[in-house]
Amino acid sequence: MRARELAIASSVALMVLLLAYVIELGGLGPLAPHTIRDLAKSYLEYAYNPWNATVSSMALEAVTAIVWDYRGLDTYFETSVLFVAIIGVAALYRGYREMRGLGGAGLSEIVKTSTRVLVPLILVAGASIAIHGHLTPGGGFQGGSFMAVLMVLLAVVFSLDYAFERGLSSRKLLAIRSAGLIGILLTSLALLVAGAVAGVYAYVFQNMVRESSELSMPRWIFDRPLGGTLFFFNVFESLAVVSGLTLTFIVLALRREEVDHALAAGEWYE
Amino acid sequence: MEPVAILLATVAALLSVIATYLAVVSKDLLVAVVLSAVQSTAYALIYYVLMAPDIVLVYVPVSVGLLPAVSVLLIKKTERYEG
Repeated sequence: MRARELAIASSVALMVLLLAYVIELGGLGPLAPHTIRDLAKSYLEYAYNPWNATVSSMALEAVTAIVWDYRGLDTYFETSVLFVAIIGVAALYRGYREMRGLGGAGLSEIVKTSTRVLVPLILVAGASIAIHGHLTPGGGFQGGSFMAVLMVLLAVVFSLDYAFERGLSSRKLLAIRSAGLIGILLTSLALLVAGAVAGVYAYVFQNMVRESSELSMPRWIFDRPLGGTLFFFNVFESLAVVSGLTLTFIVLALRREEVDHALAAGEWYE
Repeated sequence: MEPVAILLATVAALLSVIATYLAVVSKDLLVAVVLSAVQSTAYALIYYVLMAPDIVLVYVPVSVGLLPAVSVLLIKKTERYEG
């Protein structure tokens, strides 16, 4: 990194600063209004509204209410896209074998010890982000990716051999991922099935009572708000994300000896 | 917004521009990955100042944890130096 590169980088940063100043002055066209728009106001008023539950999702966190209730179907397909991508990675490497004893010893003892201190902290942080997704910022994807970082850290620091010896395998991860997706599907269909059994109207992705539908997911657990489907969606999504992202990392991190078998099988097919 | 918040966002934005430029011109790809993680950290700070904690929580693990991990794997399987 030479002084010349630093000088060019600083001048680029200065240009960006001046450009931002010009935009702030309105020199490149009209600015967006700073006031809160009507759409945002309606979401803020309806996300937690015990006086009119037919428009509310009874969640204290407006972002989670939008993501998993008001536009729940979009989020469902986002999850499906991630699932298809992970299946694609696994299918690209099809035929690999997870092998032990390839000589990976992990990093030094100092790194291992400090990682052991970090593990419960990251795990609790990720789990609380996922489980409190309807109360505080965060949600299933955020908590799941926190825990996926933890798994990647473990695989790098303690080596893949150690992870495989402790019972981690891509088959198990894929099973957890599928269980999470099935949980999301069952949660979204729960009230529809209940309505079909009871003979009353209900909707797919229904959360609270709606006009023309009396059914509702639970609003409270003990004396805390539960947010109906949002809690279940967050828990299942975090399971699906942590197993899916860990599976992707492990498949991409496979050693040469483990992939050789898959390559030989590919050549045999040709 | 508070003046302190605007100042913090400005400093973080300038740091991210510098880190991005150095990551683009760097011939050592491992250094480029670290610099792009620095840029992501600055972005996370900006999101926090702009009152988007949901985005911070998804941006930190993905762009500082998972993306560098996958990029380092890619570099390990190919070549460290460009050109």
